[in-house]
Amino acid sequence: MTELLQTLLLGLLLGGVYALAASGLTLIFGVMRVINIAHGAFLILGAFVTYWLWDAFGLDPLLGVVLTTPIVFGVGWITYKLVVSPVRTAPMASTVLLTFGLALVLEGAMGEIWGNNSTAIRPSYADESFTFGGLFLPKAQVYGGLIAVVVLVLLWLVLTKTWLGRAIRAAATNPASAELVGIKVASVAALVFGIGIAAAGAGGAITGVLYPFVPGSHYQWIARLLAIVVLGGLGSLNGAVLGALMFGVAETLTSAYVSPAWATAVPYAIVFAVLLIRPQGLLGTRLREDAVAA
Amino acid sequence: MSHVSRRRGLSALALTGALAFGFAACGGDDSGSGDDDDSPISIGTSLPLTGEFSQPGQAAEQGYKIWQDMVNDGGGLLGRDVELVVKDDASNQNTIVADYNALIGQDKVDLLLGTFSSLLNLPASAVAEKNQMLYVEPAGGSPEMFSRGFQYLFFAQQATADRQGLVFADWVANLPEDQRPKTAAYPTLDDPFASPVVEGAKAALEEAGVETVYEETYAIDTKNFDTIVSAMKNANPDLVFHGAQFEDGIGMTRSMLKADFTPDMFFETNAPSFGDQYSEGVGADNTEGVFFAVSHSPDADTPGNAEFVQAYEDEFGGLPPEDAADAYAAGQVLQAAVEAVGSIDDQEALADWLRENEVETILGPLSWEDTGAPTGEFLIGQWQGGKAEIVLPEDASTAEIKPGWTPGGAG
Repeated sequence: MTELLQTLLLGLLLGGVYALAASGLTLIFGVMRVINIAHGAFLILGAFVTYWLWDAFGLDPLLGVVLTTPIVFGVGWITYKLVVSPVRTAPMASTVLLTFGLALVLEGAMGEIWGNNSTAIRPSYADESFTFGGLFLPKAQVYGGLIAVVVLVLLWLVLTKTWLGRAIRAAATNPASAELVGIKVASVAALVFGIGIAAAGAGGAITGVLYPFVPGSHYQWIARLLAIVVLGGLGSLNGAVLGALMFGVAETLTSAYVSPAWATAVPYAIVFAVLLIRPQGLLGTRLREDAVAA
Repeated sequence: MSHVSRRRGLSALALTGALAFGFAACGGDDSGSGDDDDSPISIGTSLPLTGEFSQPGQAAEQGYKIWQDMVNDGGGLLGRDVELVVKDDASNQNTIVADYNALIGQDKVDLLLGTFSSLLNLPASAVAEKNQMLYVEPAGGSPEMFSRGFQYLFFAQQATADRQGLVFADWVANLPEDQRPKTAAYPTLDDPFASPVVEGAKAALEEAGVETVYEETYAIDTKNFDTIVSAMKNANPDLVFHGAQFEDGIGMTRSMLKADFTPDMFFETNAPSFGDQYSEGVGADNTEGVFFAVSHSPDADTPGNAEFVQAYEDEFGGLPPEDAADAYAAGQVLQAAVEAVGSIDDQEALADWLRENEVETILGPLSWEDTGAPTGEFLIGQWQGGKAEIVLPEDASTAEIKPGWTPGGAG
């Protein structure tokens, strides 16, 4: 029983971080129909920026999220204006190709700046845990999970309670009508891209504390994140959170009760199974285009 | 209309991509045409300079560079300068095949040197074998490498992976009963190098009466080790023998510390041999007592070792990581064969010479079976006082062996 509880808790903590990392990906897709293959690379960028702030100025890496996030937001916004904006309305194949290229450029740039050696961020509490009743909860993971929840709630509040959120949702649902009522869809898109990338950056700050990373680590992240947002339903924030928690718990349960060898494979099998029954994902909505395509 | 232009746009994009790849494949200089006696001898290799194995890949590049510089400073090879042609395979098994084909077919290099990790050497050595070119590899100790009947493959370390943990296992087996661990856990990365090390050591330890209480393999993209550690902690072993590469070695150790799981003895492959990079990854005071197998010691009095260590410090600073030393030794093996045969034209003669002779390297003397597998034994290292020492075998040791792992956070 203790083992099951331990495994579930570790899975939920892992899922919380996945949720934060995946939220930006689903948000960007929701508004722009752009599948951002560079999302994992921005996550690693967040980790490196955090490392730099910690290493050079002694800034606590998790508190540093308040600095990392705006920095990565800026990089995301500029990237959008320079690179993504010209192809925003182009077919999806072009944006996939473009963002894949962007991921490679970012990987190369990070390698040039910080080197291709494995990097680890180790604040004093990195190897400590809270223990109670035979259970252990790694401190960094708990703090990271809490930060993820705070950022996700903020994101949710912005999306549902503010004029900006209303504009974002309008631009996502029907860009043409949104323009008619005076929403500048292009500006909203730039902002959403920045926010999405900033969420990846915040996720990167946390994962950088939890796991060592190299510039090339982004391949493993983008594979996981894409699976999570597809599982949750492309474009749905709640779906991404649900998908991420399921993914995290599936990973730890498989590792504990089947074999660690299957831990990174079983979650993908679950994605397959869910898509067979609900092709639009757990909380995704079926679009008219899907019906026509089917 | 818009449909047409979209499609045209896509084709243009695809074409651009195809052209870019085409040009990249055509790139590279046509340095080594070979026959002119004054032209440099070109030696090709492709290393994982980026991606998952960038850590050993970059160290290997440093080792090769030092070997190149020292050979050239000493008058060259057969009186000609040596020129390395290094490609980056991004830790990818497909890219490395393309790279070695390009080195042989387009760059027309005179000689080859191997790459890092068995995972990449497996396909790369097959390209060399098909082209009948000598392939001296600085890593790639998986037994799988040498079961394929290759004629041109030679491994420039002391022993294959399945023998890497044996010296340590023997030491454990011969401990007095009250000090010998009763139980052991074997978490292993699914990797052609790490797995055989663990299998070899496990067989020897079981024979010595050490009971196996946990044994699991995990995939290379595993980031989170908390669940594995939680299961190991429940199994409560006296000894953890971990088959790792670099990042997972760091990740596992940190998870063990987080779970306050500190077994009496801790052996880990690869990661602890990375010097400062390892102690920064897990924290210097957590390294105390960690065991690892290693091929090279900066303090060893093997011929040329002091000069190599000095040259490394002058050029890159600090002590050379093991992988840089292995790469340097691979260069030495190639050099010995070329100088003994007196020509680079007959690759078969080079391979035949290596099969019949012993080569002095900074790792000590190396010799090979017909399969190209080496016939020696590894050194066993242990972290003591923030420094990696050699503790076994006794005649090569730099410090007394200490039995336990006593990390600072939990000691």
